[in-house]
Amino acid sequence: MNNTIVSYFAQFEGFQEVVTKLSEVVGFNAMSLVTFIIFAIACVVVLGALATVGGLGTYAERKISADLQMRQGPNRVGPFGILQFLADGVKMMMKEDIIPRHADKLTFNIAPLLCMLGVMATFAVLPFSSGFTMTDLDVGVFYLIGVSSLVGVGIFLGGYSSNSKWSMLGGMRGASQIISYEVPVTLSILAIVLMAGGLSFGTIVAAQGAWPHQWFVLHNPFTMIAFVVLFIGILAETNRAPFDLPEAESELVSGYHTEFTGMRFGFFALAEYMEVFVVCGVVAALFLGGYNVPFGLGEGTFLIESLHVPAIHAKGVGQLLQVGSFVSKTLALYYVVIWIRWTLPRLRVDHLMTLCWKYLTPIALFNLVGCALWMYFFQGESMWQLLGHLGASAGSGGGH
Amino acid sequence: MFDQILFILSAVLTMGGALAVVFSRNLMHACVFLLACLFGVAGLYATLNADFLAATQLVVYAGGVVILMLFAVMLTGGVQSTVNKFGLEKIPGMGNTKTYTAAGLSVIIISFVLFKILKNAVAIAPKGQMVYESTVEKIGTLLVSDHVLAFELSSILLLGALVGAAVIARPRHIKDDV
Repeated sequence: MNNTIVSYFAQFEGFQEVVTKLSEVVGFNAMSLVTFIIFAIACVVVLGALATVGGLGTYAERKISADLQMRQGPNRVGPFGILQFLADGVKMMMKEDIIPRHADKLTFNIAPLLCMLGVMATFAVLPFSSGFTMTDLDVGVFYLIGVSSLVGVGIFLGGYSSNSKWSMLGGMRGASQIISYEVPVTLSILAIVLMAGGLSFGTIVAAQGAWPHQWFVLHNPFTMIAFVVLFIGILAETNRAPFDLPEAESELVSGYHTEFTGMRFGFFALAEYMEVFVVCGVVAALFLGGYNVPFGLGEGTFLIESLHVPAIHAKGVGQLLQVGSFVSKTLALYYVVIWIRWTLPRLRVDHLMTLCWKYLTPIALFNLVGCALWMYFFQGESMWQLLGHLGASAGSGGGH
Repeated sequence: MFDQILFILSAVLTMGGALAVVFSRNLMHACVFLLACLFGVAGLYATLNADFLAATQLVVYAGGVVILMLFAVMLTGGVQSTVNKFGLEKIPGMGNTKTYTAAGLSVIIISFVLFKILKNAVAIAPKGQMVYESTVEKIGTLLVSDHVLAFELSSILLLGALVGAAVIARPRHIKDDV
């Protein structure tokens, strides 16, 4: 059985009592019911939290871009304009919902939903902490790659169904870009899977430590390259600048969502911002140590042993600290993504494809082989450990 | 009970998607329904405790094949030539002698294969509670030990396909600038 949020709660003694009491009340074994309720609550919480993050992402984007361009940015709604995204949401819902007369109705309606579905399905394996994760699938990373490809279908169908040349070009660019960049991204992820020896996020995060020298990004030179390749790749996969060719506003009006109005457009935008959060989370989990917290705080051992806090509270605090660790790393990457958008100019289409197929893909391939060789020759030790051995042998050889 | 609910959902998605693919008169819509159908098949794999196969199904079919089909349909202009403004009256009739013959023969062959598989499936006694365990490690070990020949052969096949695609897509250098 996978490690899920239910199995986290099931380790405490109170859980069984609740289940047995509920079983007496309802008259059958309430385990499935409790599981369902816990999952339902977790789904609501995660969806609500990440939708808010997506909304705040638009606010952060505008505020940071304003800072970079020496402007004020949104500053009227709420303190520092932080409620601007709510106002935007209300505005979008009240807009007239226009479907072009010659649009393909069915695909026009489901395209934004496919984008949202692809992003939301990835939340199921996002490793917020060791306990508060929806489920830690054995094929977690692989599943995430699979369902996030739905976003590409959504973008393509959105462009196609609008029956407009700009949308069409944007949709085609989006789909080809997403398919192309999946290759280097998957190869970089594969390098980390190779190092950690498992596809589940739990295994990958557990293979790293809390301190930066235990992270995979600083494990060896090849993982550093993999980190850079993966980061460039996810910028392209989420259609962020400098790879935002599908919605290049100087050439394509607004790309694949030109014809979408109101909340349909809102779904596309929200899906993009949530996807940025998700992929930043994936990078944080794969390379930056994920939810690891130092001093055994995450598992609660420190609090239980030295401060004698009850296990349930100590573990709860540990989980919250882990969530904080994961989210802060993710948001730092989110900031970098926004920063890059407002710094670099947009690439040309042929440059984009050249970058992917002539540079990133070969680099990622050789990188994978390099990681495998490193694992073979150094038994999976990081370069800091090797330096430590070197220093120790030099010290003992010196005769001190 | 949970297994059964998931199975029914996946089966309905698979069958509904497949039927919609067949009865849809718009090629683009058929591709979208095919996506739903393939998702249902992935769900069926997941209920059968084949998590790696389910994820592979998502990656390969949902991510690759369906987008490829959409591209192919769009770039060959299949939709423009068959859709008219009243629906899809322009599609030529599919039911002639040739198609029925081909379909009948394929049905016979496929049913032979299916019954061959089903015979074993019926013979095995149904298990009680399904035990979920990871299949990734087993598949990985088997692929590079017992089935290494098939693994290598398929990799050579894929390499050939890649090289072929690169050769086809290569720009032809016309020496007219000399």
